[in-house]
Amino acid sequence: MQTGTKISLAGHGLLMGWVVFGAWFPSEPLPFEVQQVALISAEQFEKLSQQRQAPQVSPEPAPLNEPEAVQPAPEPAPQPDPEPEITRPEPVAPAEPDPQVAVLPEPQPEPDVPVELPSAVEEPEVPSLVPQVAPEAQQRPSDRVAPVPVARPEPDTAVAEIEQPEVAPEEGAETEQEVQEATAPEEASDRIVTEENEGEELVASAAPAASLRPRTRPARPQPQPEEVVEAAQPAEPEQPAEEPAADTSSAVEDALAEALAGGADAEAPEPSGPPLTLGEKDALRVAVSQCWNVGSLSTDALNTTVVVGVSLSEDGKPDGSSIRMLTSTGGSVSAAKQAYEAARRAIIRCGRNGFNLPPEKYAQWRDIEMTFNPERMRIK
Amino acid sequence: MRNFLAALLFGASALAGAGAAAAQNGPLRIEIDQGVIEPLPYAVPDFIPETSAASEFANQIARVIASDLSGTGLFREVPASAHISKVTGFDNPVKYADWKAVNAQALITGAVSVNGNRLTVRFRGYDVFAENELGTGLQFTGTTEGWRRMAHKVSDAIYSRITGESGYFDSRVVYVSESGPKNDRRKRLAIMDYDGANVQYLTNSAALVLAPRFSPTGDRVLYTSYESGFPQIHVLDVGKVQRKILSSGDGIMSFAPRFAPDGRTVVYSQTQGGNTDLYSMDIATGAKARLTSAPSIETAPSFSPDGSQIVFESDRSGSQQLYVMPVGGGEARRISFGKGRYGTPVWSPRGDMIAFTKQNKGRFHIGVMRTDGSEERLLTASFLDEGPTWAPNGRVIMFTRESQGSTGRALLYSVDITGRNLKPVKTPDGASDPAWSPLQQ
Repeated sequence: MQTGTKISLAGHGLLMGWVVFGAWFPSEPLPFEVQQVALISAEQFEKLSQQRQAPQVSPEPAPLNEPEAVQPAPEPAPQPDPEPEITRPEPVAPAEPDPQVAVLPEPQPEPDVPVELPSAVEEPEVPSLVPQVAPEAQQRPSDRVAPVPVARPEPDTAVAEIEQPEVAPEEGAETEQEVQEATAPEEASDRIVTEENEGEELVASAAPAASLRPRTRPARPQPQPEEVVEAAQPAEPEQPAEEPAADTSSAVEDALAEALAGGADAEAPEPSGPPLTLGEKDALRVAVSQCWNVGSLSTDALNTTVVVGVSLSEDGKPDGSSIRMLTSTGGSVSAAKQAYEAARRAIIRCGRNGFNLPPEKYAQWRDIEMTFNPERMRIK
Repeated sequence: MRNFLAALLFGASALAGAGAAAAQNGPLRIEIDQGVIEPLPYAVPDFIPETSAASEFANQIARVIASDLSGTGLFREVPASAHISKVTGFDNPVKYADWKAVNAQALITGAVSVNGNRLTVRFRGYDVFAENELGTGLQFTGTTEGWRRMAHKVSDAIYSRITGESGYFDSRVVYVSESGPKNDRRKRLAIMDYDGANVQYLTNSAALVLAPRFSPTGDRVLYTSYESGFPQIHVLDVGKVQRKILSSGDGIMSFAPRFAPDGRTVVYSQTQGGNTDLYSMDIATGAKARLTSAPSIETAPSFSPDGSQIVFESDRSGSQQLYVMPVGGGEARRISFGKGRYGTPVWSPRGDMIAFTKQNKGRFHIGVMRTDGSEERLLTASFLDEGPTWAPNGRVIMFTRESQGSTGRALLYSVDITGRNLKPVKTPDGASDPAWSPLQQ
């Protein structure tokens, strides 16, 4: 037997001995607890079981003893006597006491004619660094109505226009990570939820009650008239006629015609440059609508459409002094004023950090006319 | 070929785009037709006490204003703990940036001074984001006992300036206070501020009283009393505490009275020979006129604000429905056609809506509809809702809600005409049959 084999056998033997008689099989007895057990009778067990049962509820609760009705005649008036000199005449006691009438109602002192005050001193505009504080949580978040319903955000989530996850600094990370607070849009419904309709399913109400039986198969489309095919391919007459080709060529023609027609106006002075795309316009529309709060407007103001003009600086921020009402339709002068003020608040609030608009197209969005039409907001 | 057409199309589109760009003359035009409906955040720091005796009122007045505005559901207070800057002087310039930072869109500042028993309240409202005043500042002067009324008046002014419609805070509600078990309920007339403060009792509970109704000027109350053993209409002068029976004749039951907008005429129901019809009575002379003569039950009349029409409930069609007729009587036009039974109609002070109670499938609802019966909208649903009354500005409805069971009790609730902001009105006991006063002068 080689020396190495002997050493290996001896080593393994020692290891197995240590495992068997040492660490894995301790000889000490396991700790255990001793509980005292008492024998009880069946009657005692029954009594204990009954104590754990729910209390019996009588079908009709016993009427509570109502406190004795207080005789109202000597009832003290909750308000001290008002100052007699103000507006209302001094209450005159009736000639004969009336047993039905209990207490002299105390007329509230009436304030004097209000006096208009001069305006406060205008605060000079001083740029200041102020912390951005998230709006306070609403008492009843579901009361908020927005164009798109928003689910209730997670607790401890700040309210913001965009949804973003929380990013915490990772321990031991080599590069410094920017801490990001979790934000989410405020909870909102896309309709006014009342006690009467709160259980209704929107989807159910929007779906048809019954589906119509499919109609018979429509007749095969007639082949395209010859002249359409010819018109579709003026450049390559050998191309076989195809239905999409006809549509495309029509679109091409329309686009060319439109381009040529537009070319006639190409010399128009202002603004120049590429226009805003539909997406860019929609983004601006959505941004303003998120701050257009019509909840506190009167019925008359909700019938008033106002057109508001505003000029933006190159960073997309509205110039407050440029905001003005251009026209109003549908309501009184007072209603137009309220509607305009709500529109102005929307522009200023949502534009205070600058609207997200393409800087290269500044000439296109420097001056904007926004029409605020509340027709769809009257009854949500 | 397709590639060629696509390229041609792209080029044409580019040309068209360029053309369209060039074609845009003048400013960019967009239309906003979607917005949000949410409470408008505002801040109302404690008013500034300008005299030592005014300290106790400075905070209380601000709290009542906040309660008024937030209670409408249209406004939400930014709590004082979130305020960045303090208002230290009534005429000091406002640091708009600080209020913008906490998203307060409106700011109310004020000052209070007391001289003897005279209380003076000054206030200003600000549109924070527009950085200007909401109208001009106002000053009210009254007695110290009337501090709540002055706070309500400030709230009315602020509400009016922001919403464009009048407020309803400086108003009162007369109602039937109820105490005792359901099978032995004691009822008496009570009057309180619209928010449940300053409750005072107008009658004792010796006789059953029902359905109090304010006069158009708020100085008198009509109600039905069973003092004589059968229902009779009484009119109570709230200021002088004098009452008078509007007699319809011995042994004739009269009930459900309502003032005409001129305050001189009363319309009511009268039961004679087993038939109930509507009558009108001149309060000064007692002269009566019969308005309906159908063999059915006609009751719960209510005037249009211009005094030209009356809406009432009748079962002449076989079920209880709402009808409108000229003020002098004549042909009545049915306006309710939905499922269920309709009752207790009340014309809005604005004249554009009628509130009603509806019973359908074992549930009660408070609802509103146009005066021609269109655009019916149910605002509530419960075991028992009934008896709506309008706030002076026609924006809020108060009504009675009774809970189920032998221990159920009646309480007052209010709801916005949109169906939002449903909430109980605080009263010391059970309460029913509310009637909202006009704004106090």
